[in-house]
Amino acid sequence: MNRKIVINPLTRISGFMEIDVTVENNRVVDAKTKGNLFRGFEQMMVGRKPFDAVYFTQRICGICSAAHSMASSLALEDALNIIPMEQGKYLRDIIHCCEYLQNHIRHFYQYTVPDFVKIDQNTLLQSDHDDFRLPKKVNSRIAQHYFDSLPISRSAHEMLAVLGGKAPHNHGVFIGGVTTQATAEKVVHLDSLLDEIIAFIDVKMIPDVYEIAKYYPEYFQIGGGYGNLLSYGAFNDYEDLGTLYLNPLVSTLNSIEIFDEKKIKEKIDYSWFQSPSSTYDPDELMPEPDQDKEKAYSWVKAPRYNGLPYEVGPLARLILSGNYNKGISAMDRTIARALEAKKITEIMKTLLSQIIPEIDVQSKYELPETAEGRGLVDTTRGALGHWLKIKDKKLSFYQIITPSTWDFSTRDDQGYRGVAEEALIGTPIQNPDKPAEIGRILRSFDPCMSCATHVYRSGEQVKTIKVF
Amino acid sequence: MEDQILPPESLTSEAIASRLTNNVSEQINNGLIKKQNLVYLELNGCSGNIISLLNGQNPDFEYTLNSMVDLRYSNSLMAAEGEQAVEKLMEVLEEDFILAVEGAVALKNNGLYNVIGRWEGEPFTGLQAAKLLGEKASHILAVGACATHGGVSAAKPNPSESVGLQSVLPEKKMIKLTGCPVHPDWFLGTLAHLLLYGEPETDNLDRPLMFYSTLIHDRCPRRPFFDRGIFAEKLGDKACLFKLGCRGPVTRVDCPTRQWNGHVNWPIGASTPCIGCAQFGFPDAMEPFINYDTTRIVEDE
Repeated sequence: MNRKIVINPLTRISGFMEIDVTVENNRVVDAKTKGNLFRGFEQMMVGRKPFDAVYFTQRICGICSAAHSMASSLALEDALNIIPMEQGKYLRDIIHCCEYLQNHIRHFYQYTVPDFVKIDQNTLLQSDHDDFRLPKKVNSRIAQHYFDSLPISRSAHEMLAVLGGKAPHNHGVFIGGVTTQATAEKVVHLDSLLDEIIAFIDVKMIPDVYEIAKYYPEYFQIGGGYGNLLSYGAFNDYEDLGTLYLNPLVSTLNSIEIFDEKKIKEKIDYSWFQSPSSTYDPDELMPEPDQDKEKAYSWVKAPRYNGLPYEVGPLARLILSGNYNKGISAMDRTIARALEAKKITEIMKTLLSQIIPEIDVQSKYELPETAEGRGLVDTTRGALGHWLKIKDKKLSFYQIITPSTWDFSTRDDQGYRGVAEEALIGTPIQNPDKPAEIGRILRSFDPCMSCATHVYRSGEQVKTIKVF
Repeated sequence: MEDQILPPESLTSEAIASRLTNNVSEQINNGLIKKQNLVYLELNGCSGNIISLLNGQNPDFEYTLNSMVDLRYSNSLMAAEGEQAVEKLMEVLEEDFILAVEGAVALKNNGLYNVIGRWEGEPFTGLQAAKLLGEKASHILAVGACATHGGVSAAKPNPSESVGLQSVLPEKKMIKLTGCPVHPDWFLGTLAHLLLYGEPETDNLDRPLMFYSTLIHDRCPRRPFFDRGIFAEKLGDKACLFKLGCRGPVTRVDCPTRQWNGHVNWPIGASTPCIGCAQFGFPDAMEPFINYDTTRIVEDE
């Protein structure tokens, strides 16, 4: 008995996504994730002033805009041969940390919790499925935390604004680190807000995620996928502090290696794009949109490392850094995000303790006639890369590979599915009329989409990788 | 107690916004105002405005959700998903509702560059949603630059052929809240005004005067530097940022006095130029955002 389930929109994510799955004997046998919006940032960047990329590319995403300011600043520093001062790096990374906290807290409470907790305070938060298992007392406690979390994530954005001017779409992250100078007042302001956030994470968020995990144990067995993990490194390479989180690493189920950026390729065989070659290096060419393409079903391209799909994000980072070893599954991913929030607060404490007030890290920058640069950085959802080229002092090329492109890619010419597509394969669906499992697994990746319409094709052969 | 003298009421932006919204809640509780439905549509954009609204403080989001309106649809927040979610959107069509829209309307391929869901087995586009709900709404709020005039989603070469909401609803009156993103007070204050007194007074470009009346430049704390001709030469300098490309002199909004994220800071506070995100024409007409060549001759494009 073969049956198709389509979920569109997948709500409680950033952006628009459709998911099509085929279910046989109540198990998922095929899956396609589809991005549902396209704006064309890469094409937009061409011809603009290189400096403007830092503020312009933030508009890619409202929940993780500082991430793009990080990657574009790094790419410009690479192109202009600028080594930022350590103090500039510290302040910039503190801004980036604020975004991690804001994102992880909002993602857990506003996006994930309604999947497992009945929130009766408001009809907007009432779910269609009926797989709610928490005892009444626990359920109402976490439902209350949904609302308690709002001022906390707001405080994380307030911290971001103290250094960055405003959030979303900050003005503080820039070439050289940060635009502004720290003051004693700002450091204390940040530290006192941070203490409130730490208390919330310790007393509410981490216990809540383990409480949910206790009542949904089968989610430790599903939503795993390939098990390949990748990170560009996070909060690493400080002169005096060394690495506070992790260095660039990749691992498969049976190997671990130092990350080598030359092994990244992007593919567009099943994406709505045209270019002279459907496999290319990130700095090689910019495909043009083409929605009439045969076989294609999504706006999301397919990045591959050494030819394979890789998972990126908090779980990948925690495992690669040796901070977590329970497993790779939907529930592990959700737990990892909460644990990582805690880790980020520790990093912030270290960075804040190193800040020296009133240091001006900015200079007047000269644009080269021609240059190339790339900025690779791990951010809230995983590995983010910007590749740019400058010609006649203007941008002539811009390529962006976002973390959700890694996690929500289409399949490729070798028959490999995208990471999230693969994570759904084999999932038992209790009630195909009200499938709770699909949304829960997909949200565990914290998708941030740019997406498209929809062509259903059946009967394509797909390679699978043995996970044992 | 009739001769008791009360202390003067605080006149900060924050205090005024808070009085306005507390008043709404009181009136709703006293049965003087009916709680209205709010539909929040996210179209072709970054969903940065709904994130900004979660940063609202007076009122905060919980208060808005539970005391001011019945939020009936929000892609970012609602628990329902798939066609059941779109069904909830369709149900509202039979009732009275206020429509808030963020993001631009993508026209390319008949709207297929921005599909927001499925309805009756077919892709449901942002273009369809904007027209369908826009025609029926009692009031419309275009929230943020993409909705007010296309914004970054419509930046050249505009591959998705994005336009502002007014372009697909030419006959409809709408309140335009420019900004990238919109400040939560601008949205929530406008909403409170709408519930209490009807539509607020707007300028000739449909922006509420209570937020968008005064040039940033005229209330900028760095104005004395401008008046004396003392200009920053790089980001991070404490002087006037005009020569680096500050758009304060052409942007009408209350950032200097209101400030962002709990009223703690704003772009000029971070020693960077205003990039005119609350001005029509953002981003293309506001570029370059940052320019170190302070003696340049502007080329005709």
